[in-house]
Amino acid sequence: MEGNCSASSPSDSSNPTVGSGGGASKFLSNLPSRGLLSSTVLSSNPGGMRVYICDHDTSPPEDQCIKTNPANILIRSFMLKNQKRDSCSKDGKGTVANQGSRKRAAEKALDGKAAGKKAMSSSSQEGSSRVLDKDLQSLTVEKLRALLKEKGLSVKGRKDDLIARLRGVNG
Amino acid sequence: MSIWNYVVTAHKPTNVTHSCVGNFTGPQEVNLIVAKCTRIEIHLLTTQGLQPMLDVPIYGRIATLELIRPHGETQDLLFIATERYKFCVLQWDPENVEVITRSMGDVSDRIGRPTDNGQIGIVDPDCRLIGLHLYDGLFKVIPFDNKGQLKEAFNIRLEELQVLDIKFLYGCPKPTIVVLYQDNKDARHVKTYEVSMKDKDFIEGPWSQNNLDNGAELLIPVPPPLCGVLIIGEETIVYCSASAFKAIPIRPSITRAYGRVDADGSRYLLGDHNGLLHLLVITHEKEKVTGLKIELLGETSVASSISYLDNAVVFVGSSYGDSQLIKLNLQADAKGSYVEVIERYVNLGPIVDFCVVDLERQGQGQVVTCSGAYKDGSLRIVRNGIGINEQASVELQGIKGMWSLRSATDDPHDTFLVVSFISETRILAMNLEDELEETEIEGFCSDAQTLFCHDAIYDQLVQVTSNSVRLVSSTSRELRNEWFSPAGYSINVATANSTQILLATGGGHLVYLEIGDGVLTEAKHAQLEYDISCLDINPIGDNPNYSQLAAVGMWTDISVRIFSLPDLNLITKELLGGEIISRSVLLCSFEGISYLLCALGDGHLLNFVLNTSNGELADRKKVSLGTQPITLRTFSSKNTTHVFAASDRPTVIYSSNKKLLYSNVNLKEVSHMCPFNSAAFPDSLAIAKEGELTIGTIDEIQKLHIRSIPLGEHARRICHQEQTQTFAICSLKYNQSSAEETEMHFIRLLDDQTFDFKSTYPLDQFECGCSILSCSFSDDNIVYYCVGTAYVMPEENEPTKGRILVFAVEDGKLQLIAEKETKGAVYSLNAFNGKLLAAINQKIQLYKWMLRDDGSRELQSECGHHGHILALYVQTRGDFIVVGDLMKSISLLIYKHEEGAIEERARDYNANWMSAVEILDDDVYLGAENNFNLFTVRKNSEGATDEERGRLEVVGEYHLGEFVNRFRHGSLVMRLPDSDVGQIPTVIFGTVNGVIGVIASLPHEQYVFLEKLQMNLRKVIKGVGALSHEQWRSFYNEKKTADARNFVDGDLIESFLDLSRKRMDEISKAMSVPVEELMKRVEELTRLH
Repeated sequence: MEGNCSASSPSDSSNPTVGSGGGASKFLSNLPSRGLLSSTVLSSNPGGMRVYICDHDTSPPEDQCIKTNPANILIRSFMLKNQKRDSCSKDGKGTVANQGSRKRAAEKALDGKAAGKKAMSSSSQEGSSRVLDKDLQSLTVEKLRALLKEKGLSVKGRKDDLIARLRGVNG
Repeated sequence: MSIWNYVVTAHKPTNVTHSCVGNFTGPQEVNLIVAKCTRIEIHLLTTQGLQPMLDVPIYGRIATLELIRPHGETQDLLFIATERYKFCVLQWDPENVEVITRSMGDVSDRIGRPTDNGQIGIVDPDCRLIGLHLYDGLFKVIPFDNKGQLKEAFNIRLEELQVLDIKFLYGCPKPTIVVLYQDNKDARHVKTYEVSMKDKDFIEGPWSQNNLDNGAELLIPVPPPLCGVLIIGEETIVYCSASAFKAIPIRPSITRAYGRVDADGSRYLLGDHNGLLHLLVITHEKEKVTGLKIELLGETSVASSISYLDNAVVFVGSSYGDSQLIKLNLQADAKGSYVEVIERYVNLGPIVDFCVVDLERQGQGQVVTCSGAYKDGSLRIVRNGIGINEQASVELQGIKGMWSLRSATDDPHDTFLVVSFISETRILAMNLEDELEETEIEGFCSDAQTLFCHDAIYDQLVQVTSNSVRLVSSTSRELRNEWFSPAGYSINVATANSTQILLATGGGHLVYLEIGDGVLTEAKHAQLEYDISCLDINPIGDNPNYSQLAAVGMWTDISVRIFSLPDLNLITKELLGGEIISRSVLLCSFEGISYLLCALGDGHLLNFVLNTSNGELADRKKVSLGTQPITLRTFSSKNTTHVFAASDRPTVIYSSNKKLLYSNVNLKEVSHMCPFNSAAFPDSLAIAKEGELTIGTIDEIQKLHIRSIPLGEHARRICHQEQTQTFAICSLKYNQSSAEETEMHFIRLLDDQTFDFKSTYPLDQFECGCSILSCSFSDDNIVYYCVGTAYVMPEENEPTKGRILVFAVEDGKLQLIAEKETKGAVYSLNAFNGKLLAAINQKIQLYKWMLRDDGSRELQSECGHHGHILALYVQTRGDFIVVGDLMKSISLLIYKHEEGAIEERARDYNANWMSAVEILDDDVYLGAENNFNLFTVRKNSEGATDEERGRLEVVGEYHLGEFVNRFRHGSLVMRLPDSDVGQIPTVIFGTVNGVIGVIASLPHEQYVFLEKLQMNLRKVIKGVGALSHEQWRSFYNEKKTADARNFVDGDLIESFLDLSRKRMDEISKAMSVPVEELMKRVEELTRLH
């Protein structure tokens, strides 16, 4: 099949052959065959089709009743990031410990910050500042403010302003 | 009608939505799997052709169908996802011939906006995961573990919101998807993502391609060694991979389906919206793609799926026309086409409109549908039951019996037709002019009633009268031997085959004679305790001339007995029960199974499976065929034996898949029937009915007969006018010749017998026919066709102008009598109190038919009613008007004669988007809505407050799973006033998938019984893939899900008859109703369609 195709068609790319007519023959040779439907007179539907009546138990094996992971995508992505940071970054851990915050929201904000820091440290070479922007965009205003506060910057203004301010600091 | 309804399918869906080829039923077996919305058909490819294996009902609308091969499997599994967010993986169990569930699950999410462009389900080519795109912005992944088992699914956020297609790429180390999407500037791009199973997230993929063809809608992943993806647009086709980019322009077309030809992915078949089939070739050198080529192959039905089978044979599944099996020829035919259609599979979908007519005026409804779309539009005449095509008939009163005889034993044709009357016997024969004329067989006794006649061996004929048995030479026609009944005993009943005669005289004497060359020998005599009512010795064993068993029906103890021959020993005695004796018994054999049929005097038929070696009877079943005594007789058609049951409701009994089926014959009353296979009338039947003897051929033995009238254009509305014997249709033709595609709309008049176009009225540019009606007006005797139209301007959201045209049929031509301009589309027209009621956009408007001073007529507006979004469907009954709104469900209006005004009486406050309405009775109205549900509402006349009276109460809900386009009162079967089911009022519906269904209103007692039976059946008949029947039939739309109520699923109920005896017994026990009674009640229901 392969041989046929490459041999029969000169490599003349992107040339429309629509309507050239009669040219299909060369492409229709060597159609795949497993020897089925080879009879000259093909018969079909000699009788009606049997309707399937399913009277056995159809429930799947116990572990094959599939459910969707109930975790919210956002929460999951934070958790994943958290895990990653935990496994590779020490100073991130330190920050969390320093803050000792009890609120979940604040914790998350710190995660974000930590991630931001991490990204910042490597951004200069890899040019992944876009990723940083995105990270900032995905944070809530509350978290952004927490970040700003930590850097001792003003926490006033709209989200875009906050991001711009953070970005300014980050360079 | 009532609020308790029975919903059943008369014609199954035929719209092919998906198809695929693989090794499903065995590692070496190649299968074609076809999905028809709610059913799956499994075919086997053989050297001879496609062999149908199994038709599997699925409790869901199939959204995805894929064959997959997880690691370690030797054959394919079938992955199915349904539109209601369920999926299952099915496996074939060859030992038990069962479909078993490997896994299943629910893939719905609590939050999420369903995708606009349809659900996408795809499987990684290396079977590492299943991907589903069901909600905007979410991509669901169901991973496989390395043992081929599925694991917990998870969602990934997909940034692209307007996704057009997603496919998995071949040959990637990590599962990689390619996404075709549209941005918010309507530009289209593709992007790739790797699925990271560890992070459960996407990672940017190896490549992307921006700014594609504006019509790009389809991705075709190319398998190794080439890999990459083909992006099919409306004007270009692009091949794209990490390393290559090739594009070719194509003639503008919308590609609807593709099928891969070669395993290496170098050739593809593409089907477009005009039904043109192209071959797309990827030219390559080694593994480097050098270019693309496209060639036109020919025309098929507009394809919805293409599956290359083998040996140049391709299955083309269609939603808009008949599906086809085609062969790709190496050489073009005279028309330049490489496509040869080998086989067509009837598809009624989409049924846009239909009407119920009785063209043959036999009290038998026929459905004429507007089927198909675009170039594949057609009319289909769907008729239930078996027709007799009359070829000759004679007036003859008082026929008591009929037999056909041959002039020689080895003559393939029948020559004589013996007709017996009360005191004489007449013999008809074909003369040299091939006419039937009276003749004589000298050896026969012609002044007595004949009890039985048969051909016998040695060129002889046998005639049995009340006092003797005559053996006559069929060549010389002279009497050769005669056996007289003992003095004082006359022969009551007799039967014979070519070597044996069995007769019974008064006093319970049973006499067995054997036929020799010119001799009749009394071989055995038996004295029974009671008189004998009927006999049969039809040979069903190996010897076609000799029977070893005799069936005998008895008076007094009301039994049927099996005797052995020739010794007349009693083998089996079966008491029939009840007080009705058997009038006709028959031994017969279908598909290798022997049966004893026993017809009673009250129109009931009992059947037993007969063990021919020991004469035992098993599997007793009872059905009701009519109300009068039945006479059974075998005949053959197309080399298969069937049984004709002559009675007030003639029926053909035949066997399909080893199950006895009963099909009505479209004749009113038949007293006797005998096969009459003469040279002039081959394969015919002689039928005695109502003082008439008819000779005719019989239709093919099947339940529904469909005749197709191809139109080459899309019929959208149809209406029959009995007075002029015509149909009128609104149709549209797509004109593809010019560069721009244009539509032309017509009103066409067709003859109701030949279906030829008799007259055509072209509509204006942009004008299209929306409704059609045959009606007459008060003070005018003429019957008119009224047509409602709309001017659909490209720049308008809703039509603001339309017309009502009134035509008369004069000399077979459409004559425009009056026209009236309207301020919107005329969606519906109804005859109403001698006036015309039109639904025009948001308004209901009533028109009077007025005579002007000059004698001409005009439509004059009388009154109207506002307050709808779009009044799309209107039905009337008396002064009541029921309106189905675009999105405000059903409302009830009333016309007040004195005030000349239309007022709203009540409405359903649910937000249902309607697709059809019908009035069941004064108080109950039926609706279908666009989420494939049915519901009924009831007028609350007894409500205490205005508020209560103004509310239509929802009384029934049901998920049909089909999009209903039209309801019509009527029936597909002949209604007999004295039968049980004759009293049940029915509504017929037609759907997009080509389903014709019946909704029957039942008495409360019967409904309760069936609901209980349904509940018990659910415990025994399981949903394939563990899909639940209860969930499937629950009312479901975006707003709510509610259990089905006051509708019972007839398809499930009737599958009771297909159960094994063991399972029937289980249900019978649970119901505390005898199996026989259950079967009888269910069989009766099958006669509704």
